[in-house]
Amino acid sequence: MTPGLAGLSATRIAAMVRAGEVTAVEATEAALARVGAADSELHAFLEVTRDTALAAARAVDERHARGGDPGPLAGVPMAWKDNLVLADHVASAGSRMLEQYRSPFTATALQRALAAGAIPIGRTNMDEFGMGSSTENSAYGPTRNPWRRDRVPGGSSGGSAAAVAAGMCPLAMGSDTGGSVRQPASLCGVTGLKPTYGRVSRHGLIAYASSLDCVGAFARTAEDLALWLSVVSGIDPADPTSTPAEPGHTRRRQDLRGLRIGVPWELNGPGLDDEIARVTREALATLTELGARVVDVALPHVPHAVPAYYLVATAEASSNLARYDGVRYGLRRGANRCDAMITASRSAGFGPEVQLRILLGTFALSAGYQDEFYRRANDARAQLTADFRAAFAQCDVVWSPTSPVPAFPIGSRTDDPLAMYLCDVLTVPASLAGLPALSQPCGFTRDGMPVGMQWTAPAMQDEELLDIARLFESHTDHHKRSPTP
Amino acid sequence: MQPPPPIDRNELQKLAELARLHVPAERVATVTQHLQRIVAAFDALRSEKEEATVPPVPVAPLRLRPDVAEPPLTTEVVLRNAPRQAAGMFVVPRVVDA
Repeated sequence: MTPGLAGLSATRIAAMVRAGEVTAVEATEAALARVGAADSELHAFLEVTRDTALAAARAVDERHARGGDPGPLAGVPMAWKDNLVLADHVASAGSRMLEQYRSPFTATALQRALAAGAIPIGRTNMDEFGMGSSTENSAYGPTRNPWRRDRVPGGSSGGSAAAVAAGMCPLAMGSDTGGSVRQPASLCGVTGLKPTYGRVSRHGLIAYASSLDCVGAFARTAEDLALWLSVVSGIDPADPTSTPAEPGHTRRRQDLRGLRIGVPWELNGPGLDDEIARVTREALATLTELGARVVDVALPHVPHAVPAYYLVATAEASSNLARYDGVRYGLRRGANRCDAMITASRSAGFGPEVQLRILLGTFALSAGYQDEFYRRANDARAQLTADFRAAFAQCDVVWSPTSPVPAFPIGSRTDDPLAMYLCDVLTVPASLAGLPALSQPCGFTRDGMPVGMQWTAPAMQDEELLDIARLFESHTDHHKRSPTP
Repeated sequence: MQPPPPIDRNELQKLAELARLHVPAERVATVTQHLQRIVAAFDALRSEKEEATVPPVPVAPLRLRPDVAEPPLTTEVVLRNAPRQAAGMFVVPRVVDA
């Protein structure tokens, strides 16, 4: 079964619904049918919210029929990562700890998308609490890559990436702490945006590492992501780190001529898979043929990015996840004493990788090591941010592959956490610096697996990234290839 | 510079107590080994010559909302996710000995 209506872009579906060419209910039913046909093999969804979706679609159609504005995302079937809360629905963050948890409120970003007419079709699989790069750390089993079922989709937002890649929906929300949107976008052959830290409210995003967490999204075109960002971004009183869109970013780039592409050798050097190096090199050649200019830039502190990221993120996680004590919500395991109950609940509710990261974060913050590890990690973070600032004096955007490797076989890295962490080597620098970054398809390996390239821009220049990605799409067809027949 | 700090079974036990986790006996060797490898790999950060610290620059200043009391979630809503509740309160096992 081919994607059909569900395979159209979000922009196209919204335009058709607004023009009365198709109803939101028809678009929703097409997406639900596609999920029903494709997801038993992929396991991209943890829950398909059929009734909620159809009720929302009927509401959009009724609003439209009464002459009201159905919204810029009218009738667009949308999935969301299981760490974004929707009122009265389960949000488990891929964890047994929250298997029964029903949120009393809705995440701001999700609320804004729904208010704009998006249709919530289901919550997607993820590495538990966002901790992983393959979606194998989900307590509910792995998601499979739509391009090859024996490969991972990347992570931690692997369910959302796979859902879009397989044509189950044109738009899916995710979250990106160290690459959790960009890396699965690359491995699944779709486009993924991590906005500038603060551009999209984190209110209602189940916390992993609060100074790094960003709500992002997946789509098959940059235009769809631009539409999504225009709807969900902006100040939210419930998130003091949220930022307004600054004026002056409404200009649209007309072509790539004169674009100064900064290529740091630190993100393009040793450690890259040969096929990743070949495909991205060819994409860079295409960009120069389109008039862009390659500039050598340096990010000398990149070698410290993975240690700095994993120390800062796990330190914050050890604090954030302290709230799961079995008292007010979440899993509880019985014991006669309260302290024993807390330990038993956490040990039963958290999976092995989450426990490992809590222990690592506890180590990073413990007396005697805090100064040697956590403080040095924060110093490296500040130095890396300064590296980017210096680079942007010479270039408009920084470019690199998104992932050092294409989608790897399920189970091939699960015994070696460090090897898994190194999958994030190209994405954590932008996360540490709080910068907007985007991954888009730029070619395929010889055995047919998608490869993504990553763009990073100065803070608040998210629209510039989306423009560049849109222009690359207009000259190439990598984003049009689909794993479905 | 001191060698990387050892993470042995005793250190793991201390960390687990701080983190309110119980690492079962059959997992101790694996978890210890994973933490040792990770900390050893991250030790380069510690060995780096210390540079003048660059102050971290936030993307945007924090914006606090007006300090105005708003209606909180009701007791009924808050207790909906409680593992155990009674008389409008969370119920927990004994905290102190009688």
